[in-house]
Amino acid sequence: MFPKRIFLVVMLLLMTVMLGGCDNTTQQPPVPLQNENPQQQAAPIEGATVTPSSVGQDTMKMTVYYATKDALNLVGEQYVVPKNTHPAQTAMELLVAGTKNPELISVIPAGTKLRNISVKDHIAYADFSDQLVKNNKGGSASEILLVASIVNTLTEFHDIKKVQIMVEGKKIDTISGHMDIGEPLSRSEKIIKK
Amino acid sequence: MLNLRRFRSIFLSLLLFMMFFVPQISMAETLDNNVPDARPAASVPILKSAISLPVAGAATTNQLNSARWLVHKDAVEGTSKLRLVIDTSDPVIVSSTLDGNGPQLVLDIKGAVVGDLDDSITLDGQIAEKVRFIKKDGNNSQAIVDLPAMIDDGDYKVFTLKSDTANKKSFRVVVDINKPVPKVVYNFTPGLRNKVIVIDPGHGGSDPGAIGPNKVQEKTVTLGVAQKVKAMLENAGAKVLMTRQTDVDVYGPNASAVDELKARTIVANNNKADVFVSIHINAFSNPTVGGTATYYYQKSNYDALLATCIQDGLVATGGLQDRGTYPAGFYVIKRTTMPSILAELGFISNPAEEKLLSTYQFQQQMAQGIVQGLDKFFSQAAKRGGGL
Ligand SMILES: [Zn+2]
Repeated sequence: MFPKRIFLVVMLLLMTVMLGGCDNTTQQPPVPLQNENPQQQAAPIEGATVTPSSVGQDTMKMTVYYATKDALNLVGEQYVVPKNTHPAQTAMELLVAGTKNPELISVIPAGTKLRNISVKDHIAYADFSDQLVKNNKGGSASEILLVASIVNTLTEFHDIKKVQIMVEGKKIDTISGHMDIGEPLSRSEKIIKK
Repeated sequence: MLNLRRFRSIFLSLLLFMMFFVPQISMAETLDNNVPDARPAASVPILKSAISLPVAGAATTNQLNSARWLVHKDAVEGTSKLRLVIDTSDPVIVSSTLDGNGPQLVLDIKGAVVGDLDDSITLDGQIAEKVRFIKKDGNNSQAIVDLPAMIDDGDYKVFTLKSDTANKKSFRVVVDINKPVPKVVYNFTPGLRNKVIVIDPGHGGSDPGAIGPNKVQEKTVTLGVAQKVKAMLENAGAKVLMTRQTDVDVYGPNASAVDELKARTIVANNNKADVFVSIHINAFSNPTVGGTATYYYQKSNYDALLATCIQDGLVATGGLQDRGTYPAGFYVIKRTTMPSILAELGFISNPAEEKLLSTYQFQQQMAQGIVQGLDKFFSQAAKRGGGL
């Protein structure tokens, strides 16, 4: 039966955590963000209603950019997620997972996965699977929004100044044959809807 | 039996419990670990207005502590600006002037002495050469930015930022200097006769470009419109060069994307074209989006004018929604040396526009719009005269 089964799972989980907690070594359940759907742990919150008090010591706030329905702008959607050691990766996973907001449109092509993200000398190297190019439907409007959503989401972090977009471990010069993205790019403020 | 409310409360407490134990590492620290010997970060690129902050009353220890710079390359527009950030212990009042005697930007910083930072810092060399810090009377100091050429008031911005303890940032003076637009001198004459015009039908061969819901391909429409533009321009006495005449890759079959784009710019650059016009069809996941847009990259004082003229022409003859003109860092308009535009005639992802774009009649109207736009451009550019 449905509720009984959930009850069992929850009890088992609870017991595991409790046991870990009783044991005074601070072993916590690991948070394998890479293998989980970020939607499950990150709740989008209304941008205007976020108050500092709603963001505690154990959570962090991040902004992820999605396109407006008219394909002209980006809008930042704010998320509160449990604090972890790889916030830039979490932000990219949220971007790849897409928005649930019916007023906004996800721009990362279907099937695209984040392969890796690293930061060196204030440049983030965001490496995606080849669906980023292969599943792209073309059009410079889509390309602009895609590039800007990746760059703007990552440059929300104070220590990331530029972003190099990569596919299958290699730098790429363009996504759908319009934009010149062969070098690290900085944030674009003008495309953000005011 | 467990009711739903009880289940929810157990679940929530479990969630809270887990969240409590997640390691408490701040975002900034985490990322810093990945940048062992990086230059200190420039400030957040959120532009605030250049309103002076009040000077702290008796603070005599306020000083310029450090300075750093970064060339910011806008992801969408492809344009560059240099950002210089000077850290100060406390707020200062800054005023700036462009020195009349040479290419220099002078910042008067009231309320801070020159601290323990280098007297002179070499900058990127293209947008600005170096910055020097000079001690002035009392609590004041000066920063002098040497520039490679004269700039205008609109080419730079100076503002202050408050301290930001959460991100370990002190009070800051920020200077943004835009990469100057080269003052290229063109002496365009009115009319289309004898003009060398390069028409670039987007995509082709192994690259279909965007594909519509009814399978119309971008490469087919762009070539159809380009051929019609060519015929009309030749009738008007212009010399037309096409980057491709048929359904082929310009560089070669299955060329890399960048070789393909480069091959298109070479056609224009090697033939000393007057203008370069790239024709594309847009696409987006929302099928209701439609309309015409034209993009330019500001390499000279003519690119935006060319975009406006062609956009106006296309909207007048095609009648689709006017999405406007925008600066964009597109490869073919960035790397061609002459005034260039990339026109997105309509949206192939919009079923109504896909249907229109596949018809001879509408392609003829679009071609007419481009030709009218070019004619208008040459007459307006001729009025402007050389350089501006
Ligand atoms: Zn295209």
